[in-house]
Amino acid sequence: MATQNVFVLCEKPSTAERIAKALDENGKPQKKETNRVPHYETFRGGKRLVVVAALGHLYTVAPKVTDRNVYPVFEFDWVPRYVAERDARDTEKWVEVIANLSKGAQEFILATDYDIEGATLGYTILKYACGEKDKEAKRMKFSTLTTEELRKSYGELHEHIEFSTIEAGVCRHFLDAMYGINLSRAMTVAAKQYSGKYLTLSTGRVQGPTLKFLVDREKKINTFVPTPFWAIKASVEIDGQVFEVEYEKPEMQSREEAEAVVNACHGKKGKISEIEEKKFHQNPPVPFDLGALQAEAYSFFKYTPRRTSDIAERLYLEALISYPRTSSQKLPSTINNRAILESLANEPKYRSLAQLLLSEKKLVPNEGKGEDPAHPSIYPTGNLPSKALGDPERKIWDLIVRRFMAVFSKPALKQSAKVTITVDGYSFFLHGKQVLEEGWMVFYEPFIRAEDVVLPPLEKGQEIASKEVAVEDKFTKPPARYNPSSLLKKMEDEGIGTKATRAGIIDTLYTRGYVGGERASVSELGLDVTNVLERYCPEIVSISFTRELEKNMEEIQNGKEKKDVVIEKAAVRLEPVLTEMKKHQETMGQELAEAAKKAQMQQRVVGSCLQCGTGKLVIVHSRRTGKRFLGCTGYFKGQCKASFPLPQTGTVKPVGKVCGVCGWPMFQYQTKGKRPWVFCVRPDCPSKEARR
Amino acid sequence: MQCGICGGKSEGSFCELHKAAYDNLLKNYEAWKKSMKVSWTEYLTHIKVNEYAGLWVKEVAQHLLATDSSKQQGDQKAESDK
Repeated sequence: MATQNVFVLCEKPSTAERIAKALDENGKPQKKETNRVPHYETFRGGKRLVVVAALGHLYTVAPKVTDRNVYPVFEFDWVPRYVAERDARDTEKWVEVIANLSKGAQEFILATDYDIEGATLGYTILKYACGEKDKEAKRMKFSTLTTEELRKSYGELHEHIEFSTIEAGVCRHFLDAMYGINLSRAMTVAAKQYSGKYLTLSTGRVQGPTLKFLVDREKKINTFVPTPFWAIKASVEIDGQVFEVEYEKPEMQSREEAEAVVNACHGKKGKISEIEEKKFHQNPPVPFDLGALQAEAYSFFKYTPRRTSDIAERLYLEALISYPRTSSQKLPSTINNRAILESLANEPKYRSLAQLLLSEKKLVPNEGKGEDPAHPSIYPTGNLPSKALGDPERKIWDLIVRRFMAVFSKPALKQSAKVTITVDGYSFFLHGKQVLEEGWMVFYEPFIRAEDVVLPPLEKGQEIASKEVAVEDKFTKPPARYNPSSLLKKMEDEGIGTKATRAGIIDTLYTRGYVGGERASVSELGLDVTNVLERYCPEIVSISFTRELEKNMEEIQNGKEKKDVVIEKAAVRLEPVLTEMKKHQETMGQELAEAAKKAQMQQRVVGSCLQCGTGKLVIVHSRRTGKRFLGCTGYFKGQCKASFPLPQTGTVKPVGKVCGVCGWPMFQYQTKGKRPWVFCVRPDCPSKEARR
Repeated sequence: MQCGICGGKSEGSFCELHKAAYDNLLKNYEAWKKSMKVSWTEYLTHIKVNEYAGLWVKEVAQHLLATDSSKQQGDQKAESDK
């Protein structure tokens, strides 16, 4: 009897290698390459398995009308990515190799990530490259890439791929394409018609509302007028220790009122009139979902959500952690937590902590409310790194391991105290806080933020010496800017995007130049683009429609809604928006082109010219000589001749500071492999005397 | 019309964004007048250098201080305050 061939489709080359190794009876699959596309031959249970990797999505949704100047377009289809995207030409050989390898197979197994994207990309490959094999393919479901789980998953194959998830995934791709392509085309066509130039302007179903959050916050900050108020800054001395105290009224509307308090209390002793002590338990943190991991990594390491997501993905591919793109905050009983802890105990730095937990009869995690039908929360697999991890991977793995241990631990016992000190009828509060029993905090060190304020023994009626009492001039503050982490949280709270796409959308806002800096400040281009969209197509930046579509997609996934109905509904809503945009194409184009031109100009502006005082210093690339230099805009009007040479090789960028000696701008110069050098642009700056 | 500050499109003296900043300046003057006892001009001078004041607010304050008509307007405002 001929050996049965099984075609196993994985998401990436690294997962294919791991799956092939796990499934091969001897753990030694044969690696082959066809046209530089790797695939593996393994044997299991008398069957020959051909394990093949995709390269992420090999198919994409593209409009049937390919002319980029035409919109609206409502007819879309799946096409190979190499047909639709210039930078995806490499994927052509992958499609060919996959198609060829699938030909001799009698059985098909989808082993991509078990989520909406993994299922969708697998479905399109099985359907279009393998010849409609989507209907007969079986499914491997796993949350870690450990050998045990992969083998178990292969032994318990799902009879078919998850069609309702795929319906939702396909719907998401169609909606994103329909919105993204039409709106971006409408914007670029309008701008091109006015300026004659092709400008990269984009918006999208989720990108538009996300930028709007930032724009609204930017407007609040930039139009903020602070109002004055006064507060009392006071401290007391007890047993030689100084403690800050809080005046009963944190804000006063006049200086006189604050001064009256200071005058009444200055130099006087206070008396403790009340002591309130509270003991309370603080539960351990809940297991990590992706959003919580991203927030914690930003808070402790300043890693952007995208960076954390990428690091977690690498740890998953190394089989060190479970699948990270999850919304779950649960650790189901099917996970052998005890075995994981036993394995982690082999790592010296976790040994004593793991053993402490293992000494407990029962391990009960403190789970959160978050659920995910596809995966549990993020947890360490128990595998230890086979080679030294890079610094970012080591930090994130450590964070995940410590969090995992903390969730099984006991609550911490804390005590808070509020001591009321009365001085001449005025009340001040002294706050103390103290950890009495560390509980889970021992396991989560050093990722603990709490700081103790331990008060000495105090009793009612005790006299307290005042150390300082003074008036503080204060002003109300504007709302804080979003950072990549808080913006991601806002998107989550508003229910737009998915755990897989949010970080990428934030990245796009930065790449497009709509947003800049760690504190996500909106550029003028971002403001102008949102302003134009709000004026001509407010629905695009409104959150309600996007949220409604997200809900519909969830319903598709749960089998309560049909993909075609949702797509049709979205098209009906989009069509009048595009008609309106077309009607205003000329004015919209003018505004967008001017905004883009202004943004390009601003990018080149380094600062004001100190020589003429009116012009701006810009980086100029001479068309005649091809050289770059810093020149004054007044030159073109014949008003100023200020110009400075810049290095002609490497990267040169302004650092946003001026020279402390002469006041002209400072630049950073860097060539590959060398340390950056910061210099004053003025060649004859006195600061360079020593070098000459 | 063009905004007197940024040159952007406007229906009055200011574009939409600078108008919003100007409106906030007007709205909050009462609170400043009451607690700091400052004239309109003094108020604008404070705002111009306040670390928490928004960028567009500062631009409007700077613009108003530099414009003669605004000084007159401010003086009139100060007079009426008395």
